[in-house]
Amino acid sequence: MIGIEHYVVVSSILFVLGVLGIFLNRKNVIVILMAIELILLAVNINLVAFSAFLNDLTGQIFAMFVLTVAAGEAAIGLAILVIYFRDRGSIAVDDVNRMKG
Amino acid sequence: MIQVLAFYLFATLVIASAVFVIMSRNPVHSVLWLIVAFFNAAGLMVLVGAEFIAMLLVIVYVGAVAVLFLFVVMMLDIDFAELRAGFIRNFPLGIAIALVLVAELVLGIGAERAGALKLGTPDGTAAPLMDRSNIEAIGALLYSRYLFLFESAGIILLVAMIGAIVLTHRERSDTRRQNISKQVKRRPDEATINVKPEVGKGVQL
Amino acid sequence: MVDLSQYLPILIFLAIAQGLSAAFVFLPIGVAYLTGAHKPDAEKLSEYECGFPAFEDPRSQFDVRFYLVAILFIIFDLEAAFLFPWAVSLDVTGWPGWITMMIFLAELVIGFAYAWKKGALEWE
Repeated sequence: MIGIEHYVVVSSILFVLGVLGIFLNRKNVIVILMAIELILLAVNINLVAFSAFLNDLTGQIFAMFVLTVAAGEAAIGLAILVIYFRDRGSIAVDDVNRMKG
Repeated sequence: MIQVLAFYLFATLVIASAVFVIMSRNPVHSVLWLIVAFFNAAGLMVLVGAEFIAMLLVIVYVGAVAVLFLFVVMMLDIDFAELRAGFIRNFPLGIAIALVLVAELVLGIGAERAGALKLGTPDGTAAPLMDRSNIEAIGALLYSRYLFLFESAGIILLVAMIGAIVLTHRERSDTRRQNISKQVKRRPDEATINVKPEVGKGVQL
Repeated sequence: MVDLSQYLPILIFLAIAQGLSAAFVFLPIGVAYLTGAHKPDAEKLSEYECGFPAFEDPRSQFDVRFYLVAILFIIFDLEAAFLFPWAVSLDVTGWPGWITMMIFLAELVIGFAYAWKKGALEWE
């Protein structure tokens, strides 16, 4: 029988993969944003699983809000990426320290 | 039995596609694997009875966010080989941090299994609120108790929209736009001139 | 766990859709392979193009203006998603739920009016 532990394990593996993705693709902002989406997906799985196993719908409502914030984050993040690319012609985030004193 | 099989199928696929998201060389492939991951996560959510969130995941993520990522990947002409230069160099650090996180999670799950927490239904059936379906129960809760949170979600959407327009929209001066109200307001007497040119002479406009 | 048998129609639908799309892709290939003569030579295999090799990056660049359309689509997609549970639970939530949704819609109409005013919806 599938218990809450199974869901927690899946979502924690997903979370770690997201963090690993951020560290592996440190130069590529697009993949970093995708890794953040993976992390938020792990959070959502966790919220939904606990909401189902605890018989409390609040978790699912918060999963909806996480979804909303994730969509907004992707939109603004990619907008920043687009104007950065328009300025520099590359998306290597290593060069973003240009404003550093 | 079928639930157990479905759970392991979805879980394996979601983890495998997450691995491909962060490992694939081409960001277009990453986006496509992200779509697969979201589909399978939606399957996982259906298994515990969260039908509406699963549907939302497919509509919003697969339908909109993944397409947005695909747009950006296609829009920007990027030398992706150069961006992967740090991949090998960052690998040991990434693995180390991932290991630390895995250790913490294993510890946490071990502590949970030791029996400190008591969870509700062991079979994981989400009891429908007020004997209604999942979506109705969500609506009943969202628009009564979490009403202000819902309004702030609307504000977040508004800010995201305005921010994206401010950041990416540029006025183009080299294009001629259609001005509908100006077209509609135009009267025949200001648009046409009635002249009677003499024979052998042109018309001065 | 949820009774999965209620998802059987969706599974059947997916299977039929998969089968049909696979048939549309592979049937013409198979028919062409079986009926056509297959005698390649160097002239036939060379690309038919005026003087330059026809191989280049298949990723052709999009215009950035598509991005704004995609953003607006995401926002209104989420708005529509929030409308579904509101619509089916209105008998429970009553007037407070209705007023809440009207305020939410007004917020997004402000955004829509802004996008319209700035010309983000116009193409040229």
